[in-house]
Amino acid sequence: MGDSTRPLESDGVFVTSQWVGAAVPRREDARTVQGQARYVDDIDMDTAHVAFVRSPHAHARITAIDTRDAEASPGVLAVMTGRDVAAATNPVAPRGITASVTQYVMAVDKVRYAGEPVVAVVAGTQYLAEDAAARVHVDYEPLPPVVEIEEALAEGAPLVFEEAGTNVLLHDAFEHGDVAGAFRGADLVVKETFRMPRFSSTPLEPWAIIAQWDPGTGAFVVWSNDQQPGRTAINVSRTLRVPIDKVRYIIPDSGGGFGIKLAVWPYIVILCLLARRAGKAVRWIQTRSEHLLAGTHTPEALIEAELALARDGRFLAIRVNSKENDGSFVHTAGIYPLIKFAVIVGCYGIRATAFEFSTVVTNKAPTVQNRGVGKPGMTFVLERLVDLAARALDLDPAEIRRRNFVRPEQMPYTTPTGEVYESGDYPECLRRALELAGYDEWCRKRDALREEGRYLGVGIAAGIEPGTSNLGYYYISRGRPDFLGSVEGAMVGADFDGGITVVTGSVDAGQGHATTVAQVVADMLAIRPEQVSMSTHFDSATSPFAPHSGTYANRFNDVELGAVVAATRKLRAKMLRIAAFVLGVHERSLALRAGTIHVEGDPTKAVSFQEIAAYAYKKALLLPEEIEPGLREIAYYQNRAAKVPRREEFNIQLTHANAVHVVVAEVDVATGFVTLPKYVIVHDWGRQLNPGIVKGMVIGSTVHGIGAALYEEFLYSPDGQLLTGTFMDYLKPVALTVPRFDLGEMESPCPTSPLGTKAVGEGGAITSLPAIANAVEDALRPFGVTVTSLPITPEKTLRAIRGARVI
Amino acid sequence: MTPERFEYVAPASLDEATSTLRDLGDEAKVMAGGQSLLSLMKLRLASPRYVVDLGRVPALNYIRDEGDAIAIGALVTYAELKASALLRERCALLPRAASVVGDVQVRNRGTIGGALAHADPAGDLCAAVLALDARLKLVSTRGERWVWAGEFFLGMYASVLEPDEVLAEIRVPAIAGWRCAYLKAARRPSDFALVGVAVRCRIDGRACADLAMAITGVSDRVFRARSVEEALNGRELETALIEETASRSMDGVDVSGDIHASSEYRTHLARVYVSRAIRAVGAISGPPTPSV
Repeated sequence: MGDSTRPLESDGVFVTSQWVGAAVPRREDARTVQGQARYVDDIDMDTAHVAFVRSPHAHARITAIDTRDAEASPGVLAVMTGRDVAAATNPVAPRGITASVTQYVMAVDKVRYAGEPVVAVVAGTQYLAEDAAARVHVDYEPLPPVVEIEEALAEGAPLVFEEAGTNVLLHDAFEHGDVAGAFRGADLVVKETFRMPRFSSTPLEPWAIIAQWDPGTGAFVVWSNDQQPGRTAINVSRTLRVPIDKVRYIIPDSGGGFGIKLAVWPYIVILCLLARRAGKAVRWIQTRSEHLLAGTHTPEALIEAELALARDGRFLAIRVNSKENDGSFVHTAGIYPLIKFAVIVGCYGIRATAFEFSTVVTNKAPTVQNRGVGKPGMTFVLERLVDLAARALDLDPAEIRRRNFVRPEQMPYTTPTGEVYESGDYPECLRRALELAGYDEWCRKRDALREEGRYLGVGIAAGIEPGTSNLGYYYISRGRPDFLGSVEGAMVGADFDGGITVVTGSVDAGQGHATTVAQVVADMLAIRPEQVSMSTHFDSATSPFAPHSGTYANRFNDVELGAVVAATRKLRAKMLRIAAFVLGVHERSLALRAGTIHVEGDPTKAVSFQEIAAYAYKKALLLPEEIEPGLREIAYYQNRAAKVPRREEFNIQLTHANAVHVVVAEVDVATGFVTLPKYVIVHDWGRQLNPGIVKGMVIGSTVHGIGAALYEEFLYSPDGQLLTGTFMDYLKPVALTVPRFDLGEMESPCPTSPLGTKAVGEGGAITSLPAIANAVEDALRPFGVTVTSLPITPEKTLRAIRGARVI
Repeated sequence: MTPERFEYVAPASLDEATSTLRDLGDEAKVMAGGQSLLSLMKLRLASPRYVVDLGRVPALNYIRDEGDAIAIGALVTYAELKASALLRERCALLPRAASVVGDVQVRNRGTIGGALAHADPAGDLCAAVLALDARLKLVSTRGERWVWAGEFFLGMYASVLEPDEVLAEIRVPAIAGWRCAYLKAARRPSDFALVGVAVRCRIDGRACADLAMAITGVSDRVFRARSVEEALNGRELETALIEETASRSMDGVDVSGDIHASSEYRTHLARVYVSRAIRAVGAISGPPTPSV
């Protein structure tokens, strides 16, 4: 509160220092845990319901669709086929790929994955819709499916998109620095082929949409849990052939995003078409089965990589060839490769990189960004190579990292690909993690227990967690820069009663935006966070937003808060002008305290926010002409560290946190089961705005990584059928299998984010994969096992122990 | 995730339940805790025309001391089995198996009767009652009959229960002081068993007696490990014998394979768990098991 009243400096952000950085409880929690949050399906509105007929085949021609029985089914309002969609919409616009292909938001004449929507049915209830969907008769002529990367690349492979003439929709190669020279001069080259699994996020709330059509205006209103309304507005408008203003987007509470809710928009198009066709608002709440089958996945990857080293363990160059299975959706194909440049050299001073990639399409489910996008895979590969190198040189894994870290005095450090690491002390981060873990002690314990036939291993991984995407990089291979930098908007205003209200362009999917924003605004206006009201419900009619707007890529702490700070400054300046007028003094002699503005040194000469608001709205006639009525200020923020991405200089992300994970794994060598008795994280998160939220993010993200490391994988049969279609088969980590996490502290403020913050949402999912793999491999050193793939399942582990030697 | 249309019937007594089943024939499906049936219905993998809910039949929820046996009503939940002081003292195998079924929510709703009638080939309680030589009371309007657990399970999700019958009671022997163990290998604690081994025995002097072992998760149904029982009964449990017996325990078993465990891996895992289960009842240490 306002005890620490300070005079305003001309460029000061905060006037008090009470709330930012304090352990303020999340204001979202009470209603969320009591079931009072309002998700899309909680919207109390009379709607019809949608059910989809989905392809049972991975690859087939649709030879006939008979919808007559379904149309005659009780309660049915509309039935729509892919051809109906094609007649009413534009094809999906690809983002990354260079190949020219045509695809619509529903299958037209051909299905490309098992689960692809073929027909949509609208009926009065969900039951009736599903009953009717079962009465749609579709004739298919099965085509040979391509399922795995190797099949798709084979000579004469069936084509997912015939018009492309290939299953590789994007291929490119880059070289930064003298790679050939570095490999020629190397004393040692470690080389391995790695496999990343196809996995995903599976938020508690799957995709959800309500669409309403107004025949009088031709406008739509859409309620959804979309993560990126800015791009969605563009995509939907282009696909639906309506101007952006004809679709209003409302995003209420969202039950988790993690990236996969960036792909809701094709279904928004479908729901809009259905609402128009049925003449009634329609509702679709994706089922868990649909989510796993036809939601979106992280592409699996086959990554060949080699690291060139000098005899003393110095890393000279890295060469990577990555092939990713992007499934069958062209909009997001090619999203995963280029972002790897953000972390291709990790925390190390590697000065030469070669990167070649192929985006492969197959008859698997679509892929989309998922927590960390390509960075968990790239970091897995790099940190595995580092351990393999340490072993080859008989160096301690901590020591080889120490010798190669970018040094704190080199900050800001520009990597060979143009990524700028703003700040950080990587050696210190490692030192703290090793100390917190009791590294030497665990190594001794490991050696001692081995004598008793117990197999423990200690794993270290260091990772970079970038934040805020400079989205233009997606378009590099296409040579058409777009979506440059990262822009976000916010409105901060005072209501008629002086209460402070914030509206943002980003959307909350559980991150606690309202809590954090209230802390920031409270310290900027010398009020309490409770006095700041923020709706986490996005509404495109009232929320200031940009094409980049949304919550993804760890951008809230940077650009959204940048916009909030800028808007709050504007508001504060205007309130000061009004107060100066009312009190008859100069603005420079004013201070803020506890919801009032007073003359510095004389708190009795004060005007409350409420009075200021009264002047702004009800008594504006009394204000001098040069003060506009009203107290609602909008600001947009661009992170100016962004440069236009070029092939020579990628500059993919705009903030860079780093972390070290130290993990102890124990392997039951009779069964292959792995447990994690110790898990230590030191994550340099920059300035913490809310320590509870920051630590929760780091832990949650690490649990996600444990899933990919030990449990999660979408498996397909050779004919392209998903084998892991329920949570009985697609295994998430659960409370009983997740270790206790010991978190250290480390704060190197980021000089390029408005409040010194760095990213925390993805680092756990990036760094944990190699940390766990390194620990398991260390545990199994007596058996000569190398970990090259994830997840590390008991069966794979046992096979490796019993002679296969590779996980 | 919506079931097809069905009629819901909730009889208030066992008599009413059996007469309902007689009238509805095989178009009806009995529901107890609903933990298996409702999932199948929501996925439309099962679409019974009638669901006969036993939840309102109060007379099926009891755990009763019957001297040399303990009588358990079909509607007793896993959580109640786990918490029962009587069972813990007199028949500890059952609460131990019940304590590792699913998660807390499943254990609060799922019932012993439902679990056995469902005859899941990876059911934890199926193995426990089989190892216990439990007796099952099946009731219909035609009368009641008792079957041994060993006669009950016919195959995957198949038992001798007729469509008009209700599994009303399970009787397990009172075996206070006996050694018992239920060891389960699963990817995560809440999962179905990749392998589950239920075993009970007495130690008579130094020899093992009345050892019975049932195995779940391995084949199309739970089964008794007869070769293990024959090899160990009357013998002193010692390491070489245990290992030799365990290594042959899957001989002749048609071991199933799936994405979580191939047939080969599951066979190996079953041998390891047979060995660990025997060592557990024999209180014999063996190769180290990591503490989880």
